[in-house]
Amino acid sequence: MKNTSVRKRGLIFIAIGWALLLIGDRVDELALSQGALVATYALAIASIILLTGYSGQLSLGHSALMAVGAYAAALSTNNLGLSPAIALVVAAFVAGIFGLILGFGVARLSGPYLAGTTLALAVSLPTIANQFEILGGEQGVAFDIGLPPARFGEEFSQYKWFFWICALAALLMIWLISNVLASRYGRIFRALRDNPVAASLSGINVGRLKVVAFSLSAGVAGLAGGLLVMLISGVSPSAFPLSLSFSLLTGAVVTGVYNLKGVMLGGLILVAIPEIAESVVSRIGGSEGFTVALPGFLVSALLILAVVFTPNGPGHLLHKKKH
Amino acid sequence: MIRNTRMKRISFVSTVVVAGAMLLSTVPANAADPGVTATEIKLGITSPKTGTVALSYGKLPGAMKAYFDYINANGGVYGRKINLISRDDKYLPQQAATQTRNLVLSDKVFAIVGALGTATHTKAYVAAQLAKNNVPDLFVNTGFSGFDDKTKYPTTFLVLPSYAMEAKTIAKLIADTPTLKPMPSFLIAQDDEFGKDGVKGFALAGHKFTSAPTLYPQGSLTAALAESLLAGVNAAVPAAAKPVMVLMGTTDSTALILKAAEKLSLTTRFNWIAGSVGGDANTLLALGVKPATIDGAYAASFFPDAKDSTDEYVAQFMKINEKYNKGVTFDNVVLQGMNSAMLTVQALRAAGKNPTRAGLIKAIEDKGSTFASAGLAPLNYSATSRVGYNGYWFGQLNAKGELKPVGGKVTLYTTDSTSATAPVLSTYTRKPLPKNGIPTN
Repeated sequence: MKNTSVRKRGLIFIAIGWALLLIGDRVDELALSQGALVATYALAIASIILLTGYSGQLSLGHSALMAVGAYAAALSTNNLGLSPAIALVVAAFVAGIFGLILGFGVARLSGPYLAGTTLALAVSLPTIANQFEILGGEQGVAFDIGLPPARFGEEFSQYKWFFWICALAALLMIWLISNVLASRYGRIFRALRDNPVAASLSGINVGRLKVVAFSLSAGVAGLAGGLLVMLISGVSPSAFPLSLSFSLLTGAVVTGVYNLKGVMLGGLILVAIPEIAESVVSRIGGSEGFTVALPGFLVSALLILAVVFTPNGPGHLLHKKKH
Repeated sequence: MIRNTRMKRISFVSTVVVAGAMLLSTVPANAADPGVTATEIKLGITSPKTGTVALSYGKLPGAMKAYFDYINANGGVYGRKINLISRDDKYLPQQAATQTRNLVLSDKVFAIVGALGTATHTKAYVAAQLAKNNVPDLFVNTGFSGFDDKTKYPTTFLVLPSYAMEAKTIAKLIADTPTLKPMPSFLIAQDDEFGKDGVKGFALAGHKFTSAPTLYPQGSLTAALAESLLAGVNAAVPAAAKPVMVLMGTTDSTALILKAAEKLSLTTRFNWIAGSVGGDANTLLALGVKPATIDGAYAASFFPDAKDSTDEYVAQFMKINEKYNKGVTFDNVVLQGMNSAMLTVQALRAAGKNPTRAGLIKAIEDKGSTFASAGLAPLNYSATSRVGYNGYWFGQLNAKGELKPVGGKVTLYTTDSTSATAPVLSTYTRKPLPKNGIPTN
């Protein structure tokens, strides 16, 4: 039964991948570029859902974990000469190790204390990055993966290449995460979230499993960070502002922090909101202040509506309707 | 099993939503050079409209648009109206990349004009594939000398002199000024290409600071950090000396440091020298720096003083600002924006009645050095150079925020970004303002 579920899940992801591949051939470069960003944000949101929704640990500084992965990817191509594909694996691995070390430090913290610690990490990122010459200061480090392979032909654009990479990485990782969450570990994580004392009495090593969840989440965030800076060909501290952490957390809450099913929708919301806002402003007109404030207003409104009407996400709403 | 079926459905819905969104945003392919129609030329700019940097540079796109509106009201460019689409990049690389890409792929602009920021625009240039699409990237508002690399940025034209040039001329000012030369000197600069270019310039000029330059991350300079930097220098220098304190940073950072000096009662302790970016007196005052603090501070510029209404360019731009940019105080940023807009109009005219992207780039290479502009330094565009202005003059600010030339007369020095050759006295004479500020080249 368990193997059947894994196989089915695998087939679903393959089907989604196939659909994305077909879509990628039929849309323009703007949509491909936006699609790559949607996939990247979806992956980052998945890392938050894994940590916050499943293991009950609140991180307000996920952008810093993404930055760790991003720097690891950039440095491993520039300094070690690794291929971009390996560099993205390194991004996930290094961020995962970083998360493991950080996890040991914060394992005894929970609630606002953990949130505060991760927030402090995100706030101090620019200063930390500027302490080390190798990180390139404010200007950062280049992360250029080069042109698409020649065998794809001259018509194969850079944007399509980015879309393929981001979509594939997101699908693979979300498939892996969904398998982990459907396994014994997923149940343990939920036990940690719902009642740590009871979990401990059941023989679960709460501290160790919290660290495992933190490390896994950091690894996924690191990969998302690597993908994000691949899209802009370089990493710098300002590419990972604190606002990114809050946006991702918003995306996770809007799509349902307790399940993975809406992550693509979360990514889509984060990419679409500014576009919708600009479109609304251009149609109805308005002052400069109105233009710049509208995206934030829309995100806030969406967040409030989500918390009021679908606190567990649209997936949970559908489930309720079904029953 | 139920869970798996549900998950399958949700995954399917997610896929359909993504697919739908992508298909909805699909637009038909455009002609080779988008952005030009029989009635319109569409240009785009990304700059910070929100966030701390917007306090200093938020006026830039509005100033450019005001000038374009003025030109449009006077017939446009060969009958075409200029439509400037402005997008907010919040001074963040990711936003700049996304917004520049949107300008090119969604708004389908003919060219990018006046983009601001080094860390932002270097990323945006690559991410939006400006080189591949041959999108002209005109009059970038950064002094990062790296943008002069034609192989890396083949469609970019700088307008500001480089930070290295600025540093070289500041070094000359210190060496040539008897009250500054014997004093200990210090540099506080941004830890990005701004500061690094500056450090390179001082090294080329052979200027040695009393202690190693202090570089701070632009986004995380706090009042506490600024106070600790100044307190450290104050403690290290004998009370009898009046050390030279060079500030190379954005105006908001410069304001933060000057306010820290106010808090520590150190405003008269130093001989302040601010670069052309940070030395914008109007913005410093607007950001809360006291008039007495800037009184006597040295500042570099390649423009006339934005308060000098006797200058024909400044006077004309002030008139345009009053009519087309209502309620906005005229300052260096507005002057800079309108000047870049005027250069853009001349470039479009030089590209001919049926402009193409390649033609626009060629026109600036061939004729850009002859464009009329408010700058007191020459423009250096050619087939091999993407450098805009290449010189500075120095003045001292007074409490009103006016920049009065050192020695009573504007003395401009020109230089380059790479050689150890000292800045030379310029004999350049600025071209007169086109009639009513409307180019007819």
